[in-house]
Amino acid sequence: MRKKSNFQFAKALYEVTKDLPKSNLPEVIGQFVLILQKNNKLKKVNYIIEEFENYAKKQEGIKMVEIETARKLDPTVISKLKKTFGEKSEITELVNKELLGGARIKVDDMVYDASLKTQLARLKQALI
Amino acid sequence: MSTNNIVEELKKNIAHFQKEVEQEETGKVTEVGDGIARISGLSKCQAGEMLEFPGDVFGLALNLEEETVGCVLLGEYEHIKEGDTVKRTNRILSVPVGEELIGRVVNSLGVAIDGGKEIKSSKFYPIERIAPGVMTRERVNQPVQTGIKAIDAMIPIGRGQRELIIGDRQTGKTAVAIDAIINQKGKDMICVYVAIGQKESKVARIVAKLKETGAMDYTIVVVAGASSPAALSYIAPYSGVAMAEYFMDQGKDVLCVYDDLSKQAWAYREISLLLRRPPGREAYPGDVFYLHSRLLERACRRNKESGGGSITALPIIETQASDVTAYIPTNVISITDGQIFLETDLFYRGIRPALNVGISVSRVGGDAQIKPMKKVAGKLKLAMAQFREMEAFAQFASDLDPETKKQIERGQRITELLKQPQYQPVAVEDQVVGIFAVNNGFFDGVAVKDISVAEKKLTDFMNKSKRSLLDKIAAGQWDEKIEAELKEACGEFKN
Repeated sequence: MRKKSNFQFAKALYEVTKDLPKSNLPEVIGQFVLILQKNNKLKKVNYIIEEFENYAKKQEGIKMVEIETARKLDPTVISKLKKTFGEKSEITELVNKELLGGARIKVDDMVYDASLKTQLARLKQALI
Repeated sequence: MSTNNIVEELKKNIAHFQKEVEQEETGKVTEVGDGIARISGLSKCQAGEMLEFPGDVFGLALNLEEETVGCVLLGEYEHIKEGDTVKRTNRILSVPVGEELIGRVVNSLGVAIDGGKEIKSSKFYPIERIAPGVMTRERVNQPVQTGIKAIDAMIPIGRGQRELIIGDRQTGKTAVAIDAIINQKGKDMICVYVAIGQKESKVARIVAKLKETGAMDYTIVVVAGASSPAALSYIAPYSGVAMAEYFMDQGKDVLCVYDDLSKQAWAYREISLLLRRPPGREAYPGDVFYLHSRLLERACRRNKESGGGSITALPIIETQASDVTAYIPTNVISITDGQIFLETDLFYRGIRPALNVGISVSRVGGDAQIKPMKKVAGKLKLAMAQFREMEAFAQFASDLDPETKKQIERGQRITELLKQPQYQPVAVEDQVVGIFAVNNGFFDGVAVKDISVAEKKLTDFMNKSKRSLLDKIAAGQWDEKIEAELKEACGEFKN
């Protein structure tokens, strides 16, 4: 039989724990760890946790938003962004001097690039 | 141009430049190695799409799975690591096409590797394309002159045909194809030679030979050498045929040589196994037949209404220990319109090209011969078959009746006549004269070992004093008068 992927374990864990009362959680987690051990997956547990987080967020409609700017952002801008992407979204901010100006916003897999660096690169291509 | 002008122009350009938010879909590399990468994300990725990796390396998406995309990397992949960002390009893999490529040596992506200047073509063709349909095709009825006597006389190849060249290693498969390319000089043909998994030294030798004979003026060489990644070997023939299709779309005739497809199948097997596709017979994946059929189906002759033009394909397959029943040879034999068998035995007996006339066929055949050749060589194949049978029989019998003896001697002379050194293609009218002479007994007085000398003398004589007759034959004219004239000329030569 084909090996199960980390993602499959993460998905299974999510499905099991979704509607679980809090009191049952320790038992379920205990069982899950046993299964991981049986499948020699204990070493990969970090990856499984990562996958689990991603999957759970996706299922619950939480968007991962990553904002990259050249300078530190105003809090008002962030609250505005939060409104656009939904209150549930998790926003992380990064400061990247290389962008020069503008912003690069990553929402899940989509990247909206409005940075000065990319625009200059495009201008260069258009001129040459 | 003055400085002011330049400044104005620049200002105008910048003013027109629009500020746009670029939207990109990205994924992350989860696994990389052996020229393969797995990427998570990229949920909207298309099959066969180009993916951009850091450091200007591109990948080709082949496996679209539930959560990941499996792709092959076209280029260096040592610097790519887990967690790198991968961008979609929304482009299907395409190669530059156009006149600029003629005379150049390029890799599978259309990048020059001959040390010459960069190829700047504005036109791109996708490497995968659906072959022309039934309604746009025409029957194959124009010859491709290979300049090889045995092939042009007995296994004629037509424009738009797919003729397989098959044989063990070291039997002269490439030589046949290269001779065919060399002979296209002045025949308004574009040639594409695709070298897949070949030694770079061999490719260098071939390119030098093509240059020396002037064949590079109408030839494109596409190389995926033995040291290049399997992905490049896999796409090389598709790139080659895409370049050929451009010329076909211009209404031109193209000759495409794939040297060789067994190595491409190996490359594809490697990729498939690394992408964990289930292996089948000989560990090839299930779609290895489609791999070759979709390539060779793109060879065709299109009718006038669809723009004309043709692509003739000469795929080469290398067999292991003459085993033509292996998986890939049987597949390709069944796809093509005939095959040219080259054999080790014949090669070492000095019969070169080492063509086995008995089992070599051309399913398009006589339609693709000029009339004089059809008339003169029509019975040649049968005569050769009878000769071989009798030759085997005659080894046991010392006393032969004169009729049989005569037939054997004729057969020996024909065999001798069909021998031909490498890189020396023969014009079709000279072939007709030679075969006519031996068929009509003009060489009966010549010792078997002196046939080639006699043939050379005959050709020289005809070219010197009977040029008009040769021109008529080359133009495809043939009637009793020309036949009588030819007979007379041969008689004149004999005296």
